[in-house]
Amino acid sequence: MTPARSTTRITFMRRRKIDWTTVFLSLVALGLAVVAWVRGGSALALTGLKSGGETLLSVTPLLLAAFLIAGLTQVLVSRQMVERWLSASAGWRGILLACVGGALIPGGPYVYYPIAGSLLKSGAGLGVLIAFVSAKNLWSVTRLPYEFALLGPKLTLLRFSFTFIIPPLLGFGAEALFGRLIDRIRETAP
Amino acid sequence: MTSATLILIVLALALLSFAYRRQDGSHRRAFVIGWSTMRRTLPLLIVAFIIVGYVNALEPQALVRSWIGPGTGLKGVFIGIAAGLLLPGGPYVVFPLIGSIYRSGAGLGPTLAMITSWSTLALLSVSFELPFMGWRFSLLRLSLGLGMPILIGLLASALPSA
Repeated sequence: MTPARSTTRITFMRRRKIDWTTVFLSLVALGLAVVAWVRGGSALALTGLKSGGETLLSVTPLLLAAFLIAGLTQVLVSRQMVERWLSASAGWRGILLACVGGALIPGGPYVYYPIAGSLLKSGAGLGVLIAFVSAKNLWSVTRLPYEFALLGPKLTLLRFSFTFIIPPLLGFGAEALFGRLIDRIRETAP
Repeated sequence: MTSATLILIVLALALLSFAYRRQDGSHRRAFVIGWSTMRRTLPLLIVAFIIVGYVNALEPQALVRSWIGPGTGLKGVFIGIAAGLLLPGGPYVVFPLIGSIYRSGAGLGPTLAMITSWSTLALLSVSFELPFMGWRFSLLRLSLGLGMPILIGLLASALPSA
């Protein structure tokens, strides 16, 4: 086999990679449909489908707005912007900046972990990294519109105010307690 | 139109005018990104909402209340955290599911514990963390973060409205 051929084969296999989340959730949906059918016949099985469709339709305007906001945030805040901003910051001020950076950075774990990884390599402190990841998880401005649309304003506001303190708290706490271990942490990072 | 829809639309329009004023096609790129994200997540969204529909139809109120209802205390909070750890997928999948569980009678404490544990501890995102940050970072972040959903769950359970 020529090397060129094996390369195309690898790309082909990558493109056909199975999305296990979809597979798993489809199985859950199928299982629930079977339970509904056993319990209430085809009438209940259809009720479930109908209720799901109606709920999806009712949140569609909200979802469209949320997708647009997510797209706009990705355009307005670039990855390079946050990266440059955070690599220049350190100390207590750096931890707060990392919180804001984490809140603004768009994209899923495949976006912010590579950034956090490169910050770790370039010498960022433990508090900055913990604050960045925690703020992405709890303050994320791209995730909030989805939460608002799908969980409702009341739960979103409660959740946000309850968890608001966590990113800076964890950042400062980690820096104070384990900050001196950063070189050993860097050892196990690839 | 609900106030939630209105708020999101106003926010989207404000960001859109901001992007438009940059005069570099930012607003057009935002539409393209939003559209492709939606197309990519649509199959997952449909599956998630089928699950939501069956949760509604099967009326699991009694089951939800006895496991994570208001007044289930620490037990409910821990079950909520375990569920959050295992929930797969992004916000557009997880939030409808948690929303339907909450409407089926889950307590505020277990619900907030579930959201917090999914956001900060979800096993699927740890699998992204390990290859970039190494196991020492993950271990430290997870052990520091583990107390948070417990604390938030207990605090929210103590709210008078919960």
